[in-house]
Amino acid sequence: MRIFNVLGIIFYASVLILIGLILIIFSLNIIPPEAISGLFIYVQGNFYPRIVVGLSGLLLILVSYSFAQLILGRFQREKTIAFTTPSGEVTIALSAIEDLIKHFVVIIPEIKELKPDVIATKKGSIVVNLRVTLKSEANLPELTSRLQEITKSKIQEVLGIDEQIIIRIHISKIISREERERKRKDSDREEPSIPFGGFGRV
Amino acid sequence: MNREEFHTDLGAIKIHKNVIASIASLAALEIEGIKGIGRDFKSGIMELLGRKDLSAIKVEFDKNQDVLIDIPLVIKYGYNIPDVASKVQDNVRNALEKMTSLSLKDINISVEGIEKN
Repeated sequence: MRIFNVLGIIFYASVLILIGLILIIFSLNIIPPEAISGLFIYVQGNFYPRIVVGLSGLLLILVSYSFAQLILGRFQREKTIAFTTPSGEVTIALSAIEDLIKHFVVIIPEIKELKPDVIATKKGSIVVNLRVTLKSEANLPELTSRLQEITKSKIQEVLGIDEQIIIRIHISKIISREERERKRKDSDREEPSIPFGGFGRV
Repeated sequence: MNREEFHTDLGAIKIHKNVIASIASLAALEIEGIKGIGRDFKSGIMELLGRKDLSAIKVEFDKNQDVLIDIPLVIKYGYNIPDVASKVQDNVRNALEKMTSLSLKDINISVEGIEKN
């Protein structure tokens, strides 16, 4: 499936590059308009070229449709963790676990921003990838191990599962105190005024 | 089929799927730790229009006329999900059996989100 995705991306990139080149060639007047119209007249006037052009169009539509199905299907497929109770099945969306992580990390003051990505593997374990932006005063080894510990225990506590939980942390940015101050001031300054806010006041 | 039908000596009693969904929704919301019922595309649009829609709760009848219900839920942050889900299943089962005497097969819960108060 991965190869098909790569082939699809290469195909679309090639088609778009080709369209771009045709537009550039057309704008630079490298090919005279008569040659283009001559090509169209030739295709229009002969049976086999018309068949080839028609089949190419059909192939393009089929490739586009299957590629769109593949991409949309992936986005639409909601990934879940499931377990069964005597009354029925309980499924938990992985996005719900991401919500949960976003809510409890606010207790760690050194974290400026966090983007979680939760994956359930076929072996049954849960992999949590955390992309974090930290404040500069943070002690990285201590903080990351604390974050891993908290995330793991909180997921186990809330979900009540015994599956292996792997927490991967990627520190994407460390923001200095000055940078934070500057951003805060910028956001204060950029506070939008209310349109017609003073209108009618005496 | 959109409704469950019983026959008495005096005639037929029909219970619409929406009634079952409505009872299930109310029973689920009674449980502490439930923030709300999840939404699908249709119920999201209806909510924007200011109308209550329970289409996110799926009610099906199988060949034996047993009821299968899928309930999407949003749970409050800080609650144990299996505990809350299990309580919802029990409460929905009790409420539906008490109010409709229907035979329930499965009450499936899907937790779609976690929100803070």
